[in-house]
Amino acid sequence: MSTSLETANETSSSLLTPEMMSRLERMELVSRKIFRGRMKGERRSKRKGQSVEFADFRNYVSGDDLRFIDWNLYARMDRLYLKLFLEEEDLHFFTFVDDSLSMNFGEPTKYYVARQIAASLAYIGLCRGDRVSVSTFSTAGSPVVLRGKSNVHRLLGFLEGASANEKSPPMEEAVKKFCLRNSGKGVVVVISDLMNKSGYESAMRMLVAREMDIFLIHLLSPEELNPNVQGDLKLVDCEDGDTKEVSVSAVLLQRYQQTLANFIEQARSFCNKRSITYVPARSDQAADVLVNEYLRTRGLVR
Amino acid sequence: MNWINALSWPQWLLLAAIPPAVLSLYFLKLKRKRLEVSSTLLWRKTLEDIHVNSIWQRLRKNLLLYLQLAFLALLILACLRPGWSGQDRIGERRIYVIDNSASMQATDTSPSRLELAKEKVKNLLSETASDDVGMVIAFSDRADVRQGFTKDKTRLLAAVDSIQPTNHPTDISEALRAAAGLANPGRSSFDNLSDIQVADAIPATVYLLSDGGFGDLGDSDLGQLKVEFLPIGETGTANVGVLSFAVQRNEDKKNQLEAFARIGNFGEEPVEFTASLEINGELVDASSVKVAAKQETGILFELEQIEEGELALKLDHEDALSIDNTAYAAIRPNKPISVLLVTPGNSALETALTTGRCQRIANVRVESPTFLIDSAYLANDTESLFDLIIFDQCAPTMMPESNTLFMGSKPPSLSEPKKDSDESKKPSEVALGEADFSKDWQFGPSSGPVIILDVNRSNPMTQYLEMGSVVILEGMTVTPPENGTVLMTSDSGPVFAVAPRGPFQDAVLGFGMLQSTSEGIQVNSDWSIKRSFPVFVYSVVEYLGGGITETSAPTVLPGNAIGLTLSNRFDNYRVVSPTGQKIELTRNNESRFTFTQTDQVGMYSVFADEMERPMERFCVNLFSGRESELTVASAIQMGADKIEATSNFVRARQELWRWILGVGLVVLMVEWVIFNRRIFI
Repeated sequence: MSTSLETANETSSSLLTPEMMSRLERMELVSRKIFRGRMKGERRSKRKGQSVEFADFRNYVSGDDLRFIDWNLYARMDRLYLKLFLEEEDLHFFTFVDDSLSMNFGEPTKYYVARQIAASLAYIGLCRGDRVSVSTFSTAGSPVVLRGKSNVHRLLGFLEGASANEKSPPMEEAVKKFCLRNSGKGVVVVISDLMNKSGYESAMRMLVAREMDIFLIHLLSPEELNPNVQGDLKLVDCEDGDTKEVSVSAVLLQRYQQTLANFIEQARSFCNKRSITYVPARSDQAADVLVNEYLRTRGLVR
Repeated sequence: MNWINALSWPQWLLLAAIPPAVLSLYFLKLKRKRLEVSSTLLWRKTLEDIHVNSIWQRLRKNLLLYLQLAFLALLILACLRPGWSGQDRIGERRIYVIDNSASMQATDTSPSRLELAKEKVKNLLSETASDDVGMVIAFSDRADVRQGFTKDKTRLLAAVDSIQPTNHPTDISEALRAAAGLANPGRSSFDNLSDIQVADAIPATVYLLSDGGFGDLGDSDLGQLKVEFLPIGETGTANVGVLSFAVQRNEDKKNQLEAFARIGNFGEEPVEFTASLEINGELVDASSVKVAAKQETGILFELEQIEEGELALKLDHEDALSIDNTAYAAIRPNKPISVLLVTPGNSALETALTTGRCQRIANVRVESPTFLIDSAYLANDTESLFDLIIFDQCAPTMMPESNTLFMGSKPPSLSEPKKDSDESKKPSEVALGEADFSKDWQFGPSSGPVIILDVNRSNPMTQYLEMGSVVILEGMTVTPPENGTVLMTSDSGPVFAVAPRGPFQDAVLGFGMLQSTSEGIQVNSDWSIKRSFPVFVYSVVEYLGGGITETSAPTVLPGNAIGLTLSNRFDNYRVVSPTGQKIELTRNNESRFTFTQTDQVGMYSVFADEMERPMERFCVNLFSGRESELTVASAIQMGADKIEATSNFVRARQELWRWILGVGLVVLMVEWVIFNRRIFI
């Protein structure tokens, strides 16, 4: 414990406070699916291997390791059976943060909250010895892959250094790069506001095709949820400079709310259909509350 | 509900252009504020169905526009002046007779009775249908047709507005005659109605707006006139007024003056107040006055002898009518008449000229006929210093520049002055010896005895004379020139006449008291020992001398004419009114001036030519119990008919347009608030 506290103190940053870190250390990431890990870890694997936990029997075929033959069963049945044990492996955990300019809105900004969430989840993974891969849309091709709690400073260093930028590719392109780079399966947490004119659907489909356990944290700022605007305005899109002229009226705001609800509902139903866990979130909500309560109930952590 | 178009066609067009303008302003968007958002994705989706680009879809549910259009609709509606009238009266002829006498200045109804009456007439006018014709008459003690029959309401309203309060007393009969003349066949109408359609003599309704300060109208034949009496004012309005105010000499104490006033209380309550007397603007006396309800009281101020002055009596009492709370009187300038008596010797005449009363008004200088050829007299027209020159048994060579009285002598001819030829002759010869035939005055031969048959009672000089017992031994008939007046007629013809000569008057008596004959001076008549002789002399001095006899200046009611007897010595006079207005008076052939511009209450002073001191004063006072009595009549007695007041009759056209405009403004305000605060949409 002393080491973890020390680490927490050393790496205390704006993203993760020591209190948050101490809380996060007691958690672990859960996957609804069981994946094959690359290294021996603390999780059960699909693979049968060497562990203390019995899994199954199977017929002996020539070439099998004689050490796993169940001699008691041979004595009873006069046949050779092999005892299979569950293999324990590590978990591949990916966080994928949208760093487009639209994430720069809100107080605190959506991007900050997104990084906080990513840091929290990654920290949990590091504490449990999982393989943690952190990347943003613009660094999708070169993620930071970490293992072990000692690497927490690298994690935080990377996240703190990242900033929302206009070079951030569209979601589809970013996900394509991500998939090409990360061949393995695992848990992927995508944190985005989904404010993408070309849509998020194809990108998500690509992830689904990799049979990964996908979590989509849909992060929206209060300005987007309840726009506090008045009068005749010319709205300018911060990403592509697109303008929209509106005369704000109660009717218009009502219609906006309707559109927003539709947008969220569409995303939710899209995700539900594809076994993607959809987690709506507000940027004005504390990240640890989100991690502690929302993601716990959604089953990502426990 | 009916409508009155309040706007002209161009104005309507302008108004009609506003709604499209408002609509177009909604399309011409205002300059928009730039706002950066994270993404326009959601806004784009939101606007997609609004942006169907249908105009009507855009206008749908735009409350601001609806409010503005509602405001405009109200504005247009208001301009149509919707309203309803109490009664339907179409094609009527109405005569609005408005009282603007002094009592209508009473402030018992705010702001004044006259204003209320005008307001009521305006209401009546607004109620009238467009076919109705109306006429406006204002009356006080005279009637004034402000507007003849017309359908033009604007002119009628302007006529009503032009009515100003006067200080005159009330006499409605002239106004009713004027109205009746237009309504009844066979009566004359007014002359100056040329540009307006003159009403045929058909029945008309007279709306009489007055407080009823006039008495019984007698048997006024109104013919087809229907009179509606609308009383103006509160019944039982209290008022205190001065009913008379005069100043006179104290009969007992020669050097004292008495100012006397009669004050009436027309209210239901007894009143007590202070009456203060001012002379020339300075307070000299005050007295507490108590008057019981509906009673009158007199007050007396004793004053030291003063030469002249302006007196004002002020009642320190607040009531509805203030004009009768101040009364004016003036002590006349004490300026005796200059009389020159030219006589060879006539003790009776001299005695008559030196009686007490005569002395009070006249300075008499006695000269013998030689004075007439005195170089001093001839050199500087001495006669112009005299108001009256009496020639007894003598005559001048030419007529002097003053009024004259010839007693037993003939005035010189006006046409042929014979100054040079007469110079050598003795005055007596001039007077008696010349049988100078005056071209203007015609004289008969001396004959006798003369018996006076008739005396002209209408002339001030002879009005008090009783000549029946007078014995006249010899006299000649006197025929005045043109414009002359015969004052005494004897058995043989006129013996006393007066005739104007330019601004002057000459009186010629055909017989003298004494007669110089070759046997000496003989008595010609016993008139000089009769009582009527000094009366005659006094009257002559008073009349021909422009005599001012009374201490107190005359006073008249506002609007009434005043006759002024002014000295002949000046041709031009000016009257200064209480407000300082100067009115020029020019002498015509009359010896008396008539001044009519007495509308203002107060002190009027008459100045001669360039003189600093006033020659004469007179006052205009509202000494009228009827005007001071502010009680509103409940009915008019018109002969046998009694016209009851119909106060509830005035049912004005109820105008809505002001209210609609008000609501419109509220709508505009709400619109503005919503626009600024976005409280609803």
